[in-house]
Amino acid sequence: MSSDFEAYEQDFGTLTAEVTNKIGRIPKLSGEEKTQLVLNVDKQLEEVRELLEQMDLEAREIPIQSRAMYNSRLKSYKQEVEKLEKDFVSTTPPRTLVNGHADVPNEERAHLLDNTEKLERSSRRLEAGYQIAVETEQVGQEILSNLNSDREKIQRARERLRETDANLGKSSRILTGMLRR
Amino acid sequence: MDNSGKEKEAMALVAEAEKKMKSSQSFFGAMFGGSSKTEEACDMYVRAANMYKMAKNWCGKNNTEKNDAMNVPLLGQFTFVLRNNFFLSAAGNAFSQAAHLHLQMQSKHDAATNFIDAGNAFKKADPQEAINCLNRAIEIYTDMGRFTIAAKHHITIAEIYETEMVDIEKAIAHYEQAADYYKGEESTSSANKCLLKVATYAAQLEQYPKAIEIYEQVGTYAMDSTLLKYSAKDHFFKAALCHFSVDMLNAKLAVQKYEEMFPAFSDSRECKLLKKLLDAYEEQNVEAYTDSVKEFDTISRLDQWLTTMLLRIKKTIQEDESDLR
Repeated sequence: MSSDFEAYEQDFGTLTAEVTNKIGRIPKLSGEEKTQLVLNVDKQLEEVRELLEQMDLEAREIPIQSRAMYNSRLKSYKQEVEKLEKDFVSTTPPRTLVNGHADVPNEERAHLLDNTEKLERSSRRLEAGYQIAVETEQVGQEILSNLNSDREKIQRARERLRETDANLGKSSRILTGMLRR
Repeated sequence: MDNSGKEKEAMALVAEAEKKMKSSQSFFGAMFGGSSKTEEACDMYVRAANMYKMAKNWCGKNNTEKNDAMNVPLLGQFTFVLRNNFFLSAAGNAFSQAAHLHLQMQSKHDAATNFIDAGNAFKKADPQEAINCLNRAIEIYTDMGRFTIAAKHHITIAEIYETEMVDIEKAIAHYEQAADYYKGEESTSSANKCLLKVATYAAQLEQYPKAIEIYEQVGTYAMDSTLLKYSAKDHFFKAALCHFSVDMLNAKLAVQKYEEMFPAFSDSRECKLLKKLLDAYEEQNVEAYTDSVKEFDTISRLDQWLTTMLLRIKKTIQEDESDLR
């Protein structure tokens, strides 16, 4: 189950990278190539949305325990896709209106969008890191309680050992006494 | 393969052992070699039982091979399961025979160990039989005063009730018994482990006061121990949830009490979640409730028990809402 999900994730990653690339290139081109690129990006966005649906279905089949992780990943992917679509929509109309002017704001735009994406990526990573830290804490709790119970077992075993030792000593003394008589 | 040979050997051993027993009951046997005969018979029963256990493994392989060739897979699997159970019951029976013989010979320890072996063999085939054998073994152990090991087997029985027979009440009873024995033997950590299970099931069955008491007890104990204090907040959280299912005011008082007792509790995310839930409950706002639960879930997923409790509390909110309307 989860391996399918990971395959989808990889596909998603490559597709989104391509789309971002093309969206970045669209403003610089014009005419024939531009319309072609636009169509390409459209198709790829469709594919990306289908991938998301598949991932959603996969996530539903995963047992409840691991589901939350996949759900949060799905949410971030959906946000990414929505952002890309927004970018895409924003790149095309301005070009059709004004030709030369839109170059500069588009470059700035691309830059700003790039920055926002970096910020989002880092916040996602931070959240993932926080989740891992919490999980580690829970694992640590379990380990500590195991250690506690093991400690008690060892203490008890040691006590019993000492008792048995004393008993053995007594019995050997009795036996030597019996030998002498 | 070997297995049919082993089966035959095992059956032969059982037959021999029975013969020995019968002969030992005759006048001569009882006079002279009575005890040695029963000992030998015991040994043979145990060996036979072990061979039945071995036969189970080989049997499975053999059966499936043959049946693939015969192309009757479904029927083959059915007979495989039957034969399996038969062998394991045979092993169990052999072990219980050995145990009875040991009882006759007044060697309680051996009898008890053989009952335990019988119980394990029956676990896979017939849970009810297994529980009977284990109960007898526990009686013997408590007679001898070995409460720790009796407690351990109470836990085994409780697990069988949990999984194969699904009788939660009896499982709770056994866990409680095990916890009492452990407390008697001063192993508080094992006792706490059993008590926690009792509390989880009690809360599931809506026996909230019991669950609350156990969680508070375990929580206070955990606070003092350096190793356990990081799990204390978890226990207080569960106790507060149980309070919540009973009555909201209780929950508020409880949360305040825990914060006083255990300052670190107020920093935990669980405490913050509790406060948010209390507020949402006061305002009768189902949305806020669900939102805060979802938010908590994204960071650390909620397990089955927690989700059930939270859903119950949410239902009470929705009922109150509809009442007001």
